[in-house]
Amino acid sequence: MTRNLRARSFICAAVTGLIGSLAAPLHAADADHVSVELISEHVALAPGQSQQFGILLRHEPDWHTYWINPGDSGLPTTLAWTLPPGVKTQDIAWPMPKRFEVGGLYNFGYDGEVVLPVAMSVPADAAPGSKAHIAVDAKWLVCREECIPGRKTMTLDLPVATKDNPPKPDGRWTMQFSRARLAEPQATAWKATNAAEGDRIVVTLRGPSLPNADGLDAFVEQKKLVDNKPPRIRREGDALIVDFGKSEYFGTPPETFDLVVTQPSAAGVRGWRVQVPFAANAAP
Amino acid sequence: MTKKAMDLEIAMTPRITLIAAALAFAAPAFAAPVVGKPAPDFSVTDASGKTQSLAAYKGRTVVLEWNNPECPFVGKHYGAKNMQAQQAEAASEGVVWLTVNSGASGKQGHLDGAAANAYVAKVGGKEAAYLIDGDGKVGHAYDAKTTPHMYVIDKDGVLRYMGGIDSIASTDKEDIPKATQYVRQALAEIKDGKAVSVPTSEPYGCSVKYGS
Repeated sequence: MTRNLRARSFICAAVTGLIGSLAAPLHAADADHVSVELISEHVALAPGQSQQFGILLRHEPDWHTYWINPGDSGLPTTLAWTLPPGVKTQDIAWPMPKRFEVGGLYNFGYDGEVVLPVAMSVPADAAPGSKAHIAVDAKWLVCREECIPGRKTMTLDLPVATKDNPPKPDGRWTMQFSRARLAEPQATAWKATNAAEGDRIVVTLRGPSLPNADGLDAFVEQKKLVDNKPPRIRREGDALIVDFGKSEYFGTPPETFDLVVTQPSAAGVRGWRVQVPFAANAAP
Repeated sequence: MTKKAMDLEIAMTPRITLIAAALAFAAPAFAAPVVGKPAPDFSVTDASGKTQSLAAYKGRTVVLEWNNPECPFVGKHYGAKNMQAQQAEAASEGVVWLTVNSGASGKQGHLDGAAANAYVAKVGGKEAAYLIDGDGKVGHAYDAKTTPHMYVIDKDGVLRYMGGIDSIASTDKEDIPKATQYVRQALAEIKDGKAVSVPTSEPYGCSVKYGS
């Protein structure tokens, strides 16, 4: 995404933040405590292109659903797609999670309004003018303190556009997809190493534009690697140190793991993602 | 006791106290028990008002099951009769199955004794006892995080399994036949004098609704 688009999205998010708070009651979720909708960024499919879809979740106040790693309890939202021939989806591009704490147990997920973005590739030979039937079976667990599992099958029927008439954005969801791009942790050029120090897994990050440690939080996508308590985060010279407790369920470590670092600020949460090679000496 | 020995004892007392205090502070708030080590003992009242302790069952294998009747993950395993079937199997093998509710008063799923007995009758539970742990002492001693969260303790009081009831984290009953039932597997292996092949797994479910 270009800097320009990001800046524009930011203004857009700030403005709708205000509007959103006024309009919130209109979006009140149904009796299931979260409303769930399949949305497409464009009004049609473009042959040979990759385009954005998403699951729009609007949570009732105090209720949340889960990140790919839900933490001490909970379940991540899952999607099972039924697609026209040749159309393929990628996995959910998980937005930056929030940390929820209840009674000393930690969960990672989303409250308020969030889009779980999914990139969809359309085959080059999709017939212009034909209708594409896209269906998704979504399953989620929504919790306050108590939890309720939910499931919904959603469909979209979109025309396939011609090459010389590319599909327009769907104006209903422009803001949602702009915000989704902002909620995505940014790729970084940081170099990450990790080491086991007793019952800790300590990640050292070096590289351009490392944030200060103040207010940072960090999350690991893979389960059974680090525990779910907030990590100890500090700067040591040019390095950012993220010091996790080792998971009590630590088993066979992956070759690499995915770390997401988040930084709340007045302008919204920023976040970065970095792949960490798992050091052999960190084995139990 | 000689004077020297007495002096020594007096001299050592404060130091031991200090070490004990330091250990108490150094230990994590809710340290998890360790598979292969003695399981924490407890003393807690069951739904019928009887005091239950782990020590009382020395010589028998014990299963602990964390429960919250209103949790959908618990509902999955009771709705499909998976939990009751395993409770009945355990009972027939002389295994003591104790269901524990660490939900604090006022939190979802908390039961008093009468309500717990009614729940067990309604779902056809076959556990030996249903423990009311409203202050969360047993739950914290075992670092129980979810409902369900399962522990298997052998006849010598050693923890042999802790983790999920099975291998597929979901609220779908249809997943039960496809999943490895870790508690059933551990009990069979212990009975045969074997090592438990999966001694820990990550539990899945609702958070235990502790009061503090």
